[in-house]
Amino acid sequence: MALRDIKPTRSELINIKRRITLSERGYNILKMKRDGLILEFFKVLQQAKDSRGALMERYTRAMEMIALAETVEGAIGVKAAAFSTADVPAISLTSKNIMGVVVPEIQASSVRKGVLDRGYGMLGTSAVIDETAEAFEDLLEAIIEAAEIETTMKRLLDEIESTKRRVNALEFKVIPELTEARDFIKMRLDEMEREELFRLKKIKARST
Amino acid sequence: MAGISSGPATYIYACTRMRVRRSLLIPREDYLRMLNMSLPEITRFVGETNYRSEIDELGTSFSGINLVEVALSWNLAKEYQSILELVPGELKYFTASYLRRWDIQNVVTILRGKMQGVQPGKLREVLIPAGRLDKVALDRLLTEESPERVVEALKGERFYPVIERELPRAMETGSFAHLENELYKSYYARLIADVAEGIKGGNIFQKYIELEIDTRNIQNLFRLRAGHVREDVRELMIPGGSFSVEELQRLSGLEDRDEFIDALKRQVRAVPLLNALEAIRGKDAIHEIEVALTRVQLDQMERMSKRYPFSILPILVYLEEKKYEVANLRALARGKEAGLPGERLQGYLVM
Repeated sequence: MALRDIKPTRSELINIKRRITLSERGYNILKMKRDGLILEFFKVLQQAKDSRGALMERYTRAMEMIALAETVEGAIGVKAAAFSTADVPAISLTSKNIMGVVVPEIQASSVRKGVLDRGYGMLGTSAVIDETAEAFEDLLEAIIEAAEIETTMKRLLDEIESTKRRVNALEFKVIPELTEARDFIKMRLDEMEREELFRLKKIKARST
Repeated sequence: MAGISSGPATYIYACTRMRVRRSLLIPREDYLRMLNMSLPEITRFVGETNYRSEIDELGTSFSGINLVEVALSWNLAKEYQSILELVPGELKYFTASYLRRWDIQNVVTILRGKMQGVQPGKLREVLIPAGRLDKVALDRLLTEESPERVVEALKGERFYPVIERELPRAMETGSFAHLENELYKSYYARLIADVAEGIKGGNIFQKYIELEIDTRNIQNLFRLRAGHVREDVRELMIPGGSFSVEELQRLSGLEDRDEFIDALKRQVRAVPLLNALEAIRGKDAIHEIEVALTRVQLDQMERMSKRYPFSILPILVYLEEKKYEVANLRALARGKEAGLPGERLQGYLVM
């Protein structure tokens, strides 16, 4: 806001003072929100690190198991067993609120199945198929958990970024400009008052 | 059913041919050598053995590890079919009965594929026509549009009544697991029924069936324990072995693993199996337990075949050993491709 556009009136001064108070209050609240979000982010970051670690571990195990299954049963046996999958895991999304940030909550059903529920017969397959299926169920669970945590982390980061931008805008632009405008109006009003006083004194001196 | 009873000369001829073929199987030393070879070296080695014609034939359609695997399966199917033509009389009948398990595997795969809408070409790649249903019959099944039509086309087959009975439930639940289990149970029941019909040599075949059923049941008990299945397992057990289904159910109810192994050992008489059960005590991975039990089964079969040199057993031993030769070569190729270390791979080979 350029100073030349400001009307140096009392009402404008009152208006600007009100805006300064509002901005300072907003600034404090946003600063608290930013700090809160950062704290929350570090909590989620730890969870994300853990879930990423678990994901990598389970991925390695699943890959090892599929290699083993193909070694023992052959790709033909593994493919034939894979055709048995009848029940595809269902994923449902809900949301929760962390300090105003809407983050997803992912719930999955039919990921982990019992030996008897996987769709293949016990008598036509071998145990390596069980172990491979179990390893992939573990992996899928880890993927779903990591997806929830990492999406939360990403949303929190976006929100921290935008809150930080708002705090900085208030701290370094809005509030200083308003303060400057307030000082300018005050100075102009004082000046006008002095001019008025001087003018009155001049008139009074001429009349006497 | 075989109506003609063949004389001892044909038995001796067939069993001797089996022994000759067995001697041509890849020996243990070659497997140990292959453990140190790279994948291209293994492919070349396989290409220089009995599998050459399949490798050459499929070379244009497949490459790398898939070429090896499909060539091995085709060779297995071809070998089984040739043995079926070679063996005489009752032996043919028993061999054909034994090979019907491949029909079950193929038919269940086709049904599952049809249910999931898999293209016939893709399905064909996973079929091994080593049973009574040859390539032509399987191709005909592949052209059918739905699982119901596939089952219709199987009218007249031994297992048709079981499939017809179980298909509605499978279609309703979307799972063919129960149907598959029932098919295998009926397969074993039929083998036992064949033996009970009094065909010559049936009592020897029965010994093999019992051994096979016992091994399968013990393996499944270990699997069910690992899967924490504590419910009624009677449906999943194959009747006809030396353990009754009730006994197996009682064994599956034992909570403690050592207690379970001890209870099993009390019921087993064969020393190799007792030793294997003792060795299993320290193992956690179920597939390692399965391999250990399979080794015992093969060992027992070989002993039995020596006791009955001119019976169905030498043929079955060859069929089983051929199956494991294919499995071993596939394991070596796949294992090398996956970068599994040689020592670990050795643990999965049935030598």
